[in-house]
Amino acid sequence: MPKVTIDNEVLEFDGQHKLLQLCLDRGQELPHFCYHPAMSVPANCRQCLVKVGMPKVDRATREPVLDEDGNPVIQYFPKLQTSCSLDVTDGMVVHTHRTDELVSRAQRDNLELLLINHPLDCPICDQAGHCPLQNQAYKYGPEGSRFEFRKVKKPKAVPLGPRVMLDGERCINCTRCVRFTDEISKSHQLTIIGRGVRNYPMTPPGMEFDDPYSMNVIDICPVGALTSIDFRFKARAWEVSKTPSITATNAKGSNCFYWVKDNRIVNVTARENADVNGFWLPDEDRLNTDRFNDNRPDGPKVRMGGQLVDASWDEAYDAAGALLRGVTGKDVLFIGSAHASVEDNYLLTRLAAHLNADAPVYVPHVVAGADDDWLVTDDKTPNAAGCERLGIHPADPAVLKSRLASGDVKVVYVMDDDPVGAGVLAANDLDDVAVILHHSHTTNTTLASADVALPSAMIVETIGTFVNTDGHAQRVRPAKAIKGVNRSLMMEMGKSRLDEHATPFDRWSVEDNKVSCQPGWEALPAIAGRVSLDLKFKGPKQVMAQVAADHSAFEGATYEAMGLSGVRLVESGAVV
Amino acid sequence: MDLHEPEVAKLPPRNPEPQVDPDALVFSAEEKERIAGYQKRYPTAEGAIMRALWLAQEKFGFLPPEVIRLVADELGVPYASAYGVATFYTQYYKEKVGRFVLDVCTCFSCQLCGGVDMLHHLESKLGVKAGETTADGMFTIQGVECLGACGSAPMMQVTNGPYIYNLTEDKLDELIEAMRAGSMPGFTSVTLPQDEDEMGGNRRTDIDEVAVYQTPPVAREID
Amino acid sequence: MEVTSSSGTSSGKATSNAGNWKEYERVLLPPVKDLHKLDVYEDKGGYAALREVLTGKWEPATVADTVKASGLRGRGGASFNTGLKWTFMPPVDDGPRYLCCNGDESEPGTFKDRQLMEYNPHLVFEGILIACYAMSITTCYLYIRGEYADWITHMERELEKAYARGYVGKNIFGTDFSTDIVIHKGAGAYICGEETSLMESLEGKRAYPRIKPPFPAQFGCWGRPTTINNVETLACVPLIISRGADWFAGLGAKTLPGPVLYGISGHVNRPGVYEYPTGMLISDLIYDVCRGMRNDKKLKAVVPGGSSTPPLRADMIDGICMDADSLREAGSMMGTAGMLVMDEDTDMVKWLRRVSHFYHHESCGQCTPCREGTGWLERLVAKIDEGEGNLRDLDLLIDLCSEMEGRTVCALADAAAWPVRYTLDRFRDEFEAKCRPSSVPVTQLVTA
Repeated sequence: MPKVTIDNEVLEFDGQHKLLQLCLDRGQELPHFCYHPAMSVPANCRQCLVKVGMPKVDRATREPVLDEDGNPVIQYFPKLQTSCSLDVTDGMVVHTHRTDELVSRAQRDNLELLLINHPLDCPICDQAGHCPLQNQAYKYGPEGSRFEFRKVKKPKAVPLGPRVMLDGERCINCTRCVRFTDEISKSHQLTIIGRGVRNYPMTPPGMEFDDPYSMNVIDICPVGALTSIDFRFKARAWEVSKTPSITATNAKGSNCFYWVKDNRIVNVTARENADVNGFWLPDEDRLNTDRFNDNRPDGPKVRMGGQLVDASWDEAYDAAGALLRGVTGKDVLFIGSAHASVEDNYLLTRLAAHLNADAPVYVPHVVAGADDDWLVTDDKTPNAAGCERLGIHPADPAVLKSRLASGDVKVVYVMDDDPVGAGVLAANDLDDVAVILHHSHTTNTTLASADVALPSAMIVETIGTFVNTDGHAQRVRPAKAIKGVNRSLMMEMGKSRLDEHATPFDRWSVEDNKVSCQPGWEALPAIAGRVSLDLKFKGPKQVMAQVAADHSAFEGATYEAMGLSGVRLVESGAVV
Repeated sequence: MDLHEPEVAKLPPRNPEPQVDPDALVFSAEEKERIAGYQKRYPTAEGAIMRALWLAQEKFGFLPPEVIRLVADELGVPYASAYGVATFYTQYYKEKVGRFVLDVCTCFSCQLCGGVDMLHHLESKLGVKAGETTADGMFTIQGVECLGACGSAPMMQVTNGPYIYNLTEDKLDELIEAMRAGSMPGFTSVTLPQDEDEMGGNRRTDIDEVAVYQTPPVAREID
Repeated sequence: MEVTSSSGTSSGKATSNAGNWKEYERVLLPPVKDLHKLDVYEDKGGYAALREVLTGKWEPATVADTVKASGLRGRGGASFNTGLKWTFMPPVDDGPRYLCCNGDESEPGTFKDRQLMEYNPHLVFEGILIACYAMSITTCYLYIRGEYADWITHMERELEKAYARGYVGKNIFGTDFSTDIVIHKGAGAYICGEETSLMESLEGKRAYPRIKPPFPAQFGCWGRPTTINNVETLACVPLIISRGADWFAGLGAKTLPGPVLYGISGHVNRPGVYEYPTGMLISDLIYDVCRGMRNDKKLKAVVPGGSSTPPLRADMIDGICMDADSLREAGSMMGTAGMLVMDEDTDMVKWLRRVSHFYHHESCGQCTPCREGTGWLERLVAKIDEGEGNLRDLDLLIDLCSEMEGRTVCALADAAAWPVRYTLDRFRDEFEAKCRPSSVPVTQLVTA
């Protein structure tokens, strides 16, 4: 197998590699800005310079030339090479800044040059704290600058479009953003304008940067030149926790980080997953983060004397149990949810089966024509495929209405949806039946008909499994805390720097904005227990292990296997 | 360059009012044919951008955004790319310029041989600074980089067209008068010194205007 | 420092590498009235070399070998062996291959291609066609800087005539060899003279140079094999074919032979474009060819081959010839042979300030050291020029040159750094004279 020597360490490699990527794959950091694995390689930042040589070969004999000690003589390229653009070849000898003074000098020089016209306004910059320029300047840059002239003035705070703000002075001209619109989203809305030190990215006059994937340029901008109009100035990087999870906007289940400050979701950024979304997220996945924060119900309610009044969780579970006790078969209608996890839907099917009821159905949320053949789907729910695999199918409004009109139905059990708001049922369809509703927003229209209202944890507050439109099963992790947190949730919570580095005596944790709600996998067993069904599991992990063991459609989808990037389930129209 | 002033990269207007009458913002059939002809010379439509921008500039006098978009649309290339290209090259006028653009070379040989003096003379004569246009819209003056006529310093180019060699203040005064009267200078051929020695000067019989290489003047100022 | 000028006449002790140049008969620009007209060009044996190659059934490789044997080296500045460059082209496949003829001529001090194109356009076309044949190329782009609008018109007019007479286009001389020549008009950017940047410009993009490797011969215009040669370089090719490689190799300096167009400007009595063999003594060019210094001033400095080549002090040119070896020995380069002559009154700091401004203005801005460094260089030189600099700034200038050289995508940063490095080195007293004593300890840095 071909070999390359990097910093005196010999390693074997297979196939075609760019040197920088090979180093990064091995966890060996090399400073860089313009290189991005998904895009063309312009080698324009010049930060990843390394010293490269090849064994000297005798022209006549074609044999390697050896020195006195019998070691091959290495002939180094006269100039330092950009590792991002260099193909690794057999016998190559590489020295990075770790083993070569000239390389570390070149990297330091380059950072000095990058910073001379950079405003160094880190204290007011959103990128500070997670800024490749800042981090690498600290690690590899000079201690000071010898530049003592006025810096170039460029446009600042220019909205390129509805979602992305430009600070031209911070830009280091890596062209990642322009390459993104040219090579990835293909909207061709950005270009570098001007020439020389006056260069910066811009849309041409009269054009809005309204690419539905525009905000990816914020993720890939290695400085604070492109920031989110929605998020800017809302939180510093060190104040937030970032939890790896998936988005719930549509059926793609694109991988993301949820950024949380004071128990509010403040930002969503892309997380790499080659099997799902590559490096990218559509803008719709990133916006409207307030739906996780606002209009959230605070604790359960039970209808008494015609009014929904606050209740304790036990009272609410008792009330739900009381409604379900004695109903059976056609008396009860279960509505599951493509917004809820496989675990929660599974538990619901178990409860329905226990009561001899029909399998639950789910309310479809489809916007025809939204599909862009990339990361946006017609289906606006994250788990319709998971429901299908559990045998939960879309509700047919006509069937539901006729069931309700028949007068047989005494209880409707709705998990994490709003059938009235979605138009599957009309409010008056529910006039004569009892409704148990797991809901996450006070704006839920079905709430007016509910007899027991159980606030449920949203995708950002729970643990569970979601199956995307391609059959990829992925885990979500709790990003924000809820009131009365369960131990499992506690252990899985995303951590902020303060969580990790502060002492217990630092009074940084806040109780604000915690919602009194429960994940389905807590609430459903509690209710099931009240109708003599033991649905107790140690936690959602054990629920999923059970599902994966019992149902071939979920084979292999254990928490261990899914990890951070999920598993591709076998193709299945299988009904469990 | 003023040592103590920062260099400024301006923001082009984001949503400017069109500067070309919308009814006039079209290519004629003949122009479209010419653009199609340029396109045929390259494997991709992008290759023809530069020539098409030239054509548009000759037609409209300058390249406001709507004209760049017109060119991009005609070629079927992204407007942003065309705009990026237009802003990269200095000869494309992104803003309205005077009827005559006087590009005085002040670089290298011309710097040392009176180019700066010529620019200053124009500045005081026309009452505008380099980079500005006279109020009557007749003249824009600029100091430019090497135009490739170093042996004929000082020299200038008029509106991306003819070169005027061996400038003197008197020659500039005459030129300005002629231009005010609407006359664009013609093409001048520069005779090779060896031709002068061996062939008695101008080798081209189809050219009337001839300049010879001559001893450059002593520059008063070089910055 | 007292700059000693050479005696004011041709240096007696030195020998020219240009041989008996006073008897030299011009070949690139021979003394023929209206040579630019196709009829005249034909009368004088024009397109005979092309005819010989095509109808004499030369192997393409033989053409390349002949050019290689002639020792022709590029006239665009880098002086690379032309025939050797041609052999870098990969074997022919089904796809297109391109020749780019570089007529961007933007290197300050260089003005010879413009005159060559005006006075002998068909020699350029003929050279292009022979080169295309040698490399089995069917399209050549002749890239001419946009400022040369009048010469573009001229070349297009002459090209049309060559097409009409069947020298360009389909089945040239009835053979199965066909080649098109396309004239591409630039629009004002020095960087387009850089070969990879020129290709980007042809492709209709912002002219950002490309990283090498891959080299143009592997991945050139539109990703296809491409060779880029200067206008004057290609004009030498028909001469090599018709007069033989030996004739060419025997003309002028051994390691950089052939005729060359010297473009001489600055403080001489008779500047201009002169054709002589390579290897002319700089002193001969100044004191004989150009009839000496203007107003009999003393010589102070010579920039031998365009603004990027290091300037030579008057006392450094003794016996130095315009060829690769001699100029390297002296501490400079042949470049484009566009020579600037400066007299004793020249303020080298102000001159360098303007040169640095040029590179700052022309940096494309793609890569860091050049985009940032060229502006910093200019400001530092300006600071010194305005009497605000100190000795520390001189060291910083040198440091900055080191930070830029060899670390960029293309050579513009080197081209910007060299004049600074060498002007400072060779005229340091002038810089020091403008500096004020440093009051700031060297170790104290401005915090980033």
